[in-house]
Amino acid sequence: MFDPRTKLILSIFYVILVVISNRFSSLVVEWGVLVSLIVYTSNGKAYLRWLRLVVPMSLFFGAVTWWSINGEAGAVAALKLLAMTTVFFVFFSTTLPEDLGNALVKSGMPYAAAFVLSTSMQFVPVISRKAKNVLDAQRTRGIPVEPGWSALRHYPAFLVPLLIQAFQLAEELAESMESRGFGRPGRTYLKDYRLGAQDWLVLGVGFLILTALCVWQRL
Amino acid sequence: MSLSIIKTDRIRYTYQKVGGQWILDDINLKIEQGEYILLCGASGSGKSTLCRTFNGLIPHFYGGSLKGEVSVAGLITTLHSVGDLFEQVGMVFQNPEAQLFNFTVKREIAFGLESLGLPRAEIETRLAKISELVDISDLLNRNPHEISGGEQQLVSIAAILAIGPKLIVLDEPYANLDPYNVHRVRSLLKKIHREGVGVIISEHRLRYTVPDVQRMVVLHQGRVVLDGPPAEVLSKDVESFGLELPLTVRAGRQLGLKKLPLDVAALQSNVTSNQALPDLRPIPLTPLPNEAEVVLKAEEISFVSSGDLILSQVSLTLKQGECLAVVGANGAGKTTLLKLLNGLYRVSGGRVFMKGQDTAKLKVSQLARHVGIAFQNPNNQFFKLSVRDEIIVGAQALECYDEKWIQELTQLFRLEPLLDRSPYRLSGGEKKRVAFAAALAAKPSILALDEPTAGQDGYFRRALGDFMSELRSRGQAVLLITHDLAFAEQHAHRWLLMSKGRMVAEGPPKQVMADNNVMALAGLEPTDSFRLYEPTARQ
Repeated sequence: MFDPRTKLILSIFYVILVVISNRFSSLVVEWGVLVSLIVYTSNGKAYLRWLRLVVPMSLFFGAVTWWSINGEAGAVAALKLLAMTTVFFVFFSTTLPEDLGNALVKSGMPYAAAFVLSTSMQFVPVISRKAKNVLDAQRTRGIPVEPGWSALRHYPAFLVPLLIQAFQLAEELAESMESRGFGRPGRTYLKDYRLGAQDWLVLGVGFLILTALCVWQRL
Repeated sequence: MSLSIIKTDRIRYTYQKVGGQWILDDINLKIEQGEYILLCGASGSGKSTLCRTFNGLIPHFYGGSLKGEVSVAGLITTLHSVGDLFEQVGMVFQNPEAQLFNFTVKREIAFGLESLGLPRAEIETRLAKISELVDISDLLNRNPHEISGGEQQLVSIAAILAIGPKLIVLDEPYANLDPYNVHRVRSLLKKIHREGVGVIISEHRLRYTVPDVQRMVVLHQGRVVLDGPPAEVLSKDVESFGLELPLTVRAGRQLGLKKLPLDVAALQSNVTSNQALPDLRPIPLTPLPNEAEVVLKAEEISFVSSGDLILSQVSLTLKQGECLAVVGANGAGKTTLLKLLNGLYRVSGGRVFMKGQDTAKLKVSQLARHVGIAFQNPNNQFFKLSVRDEIIVGAQALECYDEKWIQELTQLFRLEPLLDRSPYRLSGGEKKRVAFAAALAAKPSILALDEPTAGQDGYFRRALGDFMSELRSRGQAVLLITHDLAFAEQHAHRWLLMSKGRMVAEGPPKQVMADNNVMALAGLEPTDSFRLYEPTARQ
């Protein structure tokens, strides 16, 4: 399909479009397009899980705006945040972070930087699993680290084991990467990252649509 | 001309730049091309450190001070970087999580090949070859963090093998695997050894390694104390170096066999009948008094998470002074069951009674007074500066701190010399002992131990055995969660056998093992002692 860079640039276009849209109706359409894309790529189930996280955040943001400006601005703000985060969801559910990293290396980004970017994403679930294990271990022996005010008093019981293990993990990771030739000059890639005709075409069309919509939004 | 792949010439090593104790002390080893070697010794004997000198991680990654010389395929490691040596010697580390850092298995295997700078077509060819050899073709597009522990171990090995090293070094590959997955990795290692690749395996579990290897090197306090074919080395006093002898070897020694039998089949071919065998069966546990109080009762509990049925209709009872072992393969639902019992997870169906009281309304903190759990990884709980504080913090939070009881616990787990040390500075076995004491600090009526023997040496297993009998004699109810059947056979009154979230058998160990069908269903094999001494088990 498309090169990861194409998808990245298109996503940025889309975010810009969402940011400059100030009508509730156009935001609904923009969000709707994303949702149909998600349904089309059959990521609906994962999106519902993601919504559970994002909807409360958007509602909160909307409520604050409502309170400081007015109802309409609040609704627009909430939907805007929802649509923007959905763009990222679409991007990451169709692009492997390491594909993005490798493609950026091809465009001149230093390998180590791209690697840090993609690998840290791989380890987010690992760390959150560790965090859960730490919480379980402490709660089991009666230390109240359940989310809530009482947890604040006990934060070392949660943070110390987690941080120490995160550092340990980082060291083990470094050791294992080193042992598989990380940073050795002359690295090749399994996949070829090339901006082909279809990439340029899509980018061009995307740019045109964006410009048209921007102008239309301003009318 | 000798084809040494590794030569160490009087090496000494310490992790400190200056001063510090030698972790490796005067090691001379010559490893020939294509050898299959077991590297063993107690925790802290220097096994992992020695492995790290074989591919240059020591001294390049760890620094410290290295005396003497290591050469890998003729290259002196101090003069060549890890990036030069990784083509010769591949390292598989203990923790699969930390060595799987790509988003797909395919990328994971390709990573080393990309480092080598191979052309794309060559990478594809090797990928196909390796995934067929290791039999993971169906995993190629999966995320390596979302496959099972056994599969992760296979992928880690595949990622190293693909590079095409002359020698592959594995640091405790079996430590966290259940018997089925140990079997898979073992067959793979035998296969690659047959193809001419050298294998060095550092492991505590002799039963799974000695039948496979040609040579056994025993380390003790940083020195090589024994080196030779396993049958020869095992005839020496290896127990004093923290190793646990396989049952068949002990029997062979008592029978005075010239060539020690390394597995059950070898022993059986040496004796004509069961009567000829010395009796090495586990000592039967004292039966429980009939009036022993039931401390825990679970009635048909089930657990559903995100729409999936994780645990289905498990029932159990545990009496005072009893040890019940929950046995089963990795992923059978053993730890889930544990978390249901102490309220970390809420049962979706069924009921749990703690000393007759329904626990449905109790909070985790209230249940913590009834169930003390030592989870598999003690690092998840340590946050205090001293062992003493670490032991008492739970009891203090539960407001049931009892100075006299804590003293008793420190004696029982032999922690007096460690009380003022930082829990993070302890060895793996010492950490486990601290976690046991911490789990008992609030005087819970039930103690649960989650895989207590995983990755532990012979010294620890013996000490743990002593703790278990001491706890039994004190009337402590113990839940033992494990896939280490030999240990569970010695120390549990009853087994509860689990498979895929279901309870498939329950009863005394012998009775459970006698049912071939359920054992096969659960992916477990009877213990050596069962196979040797139970007439029904003899083919």
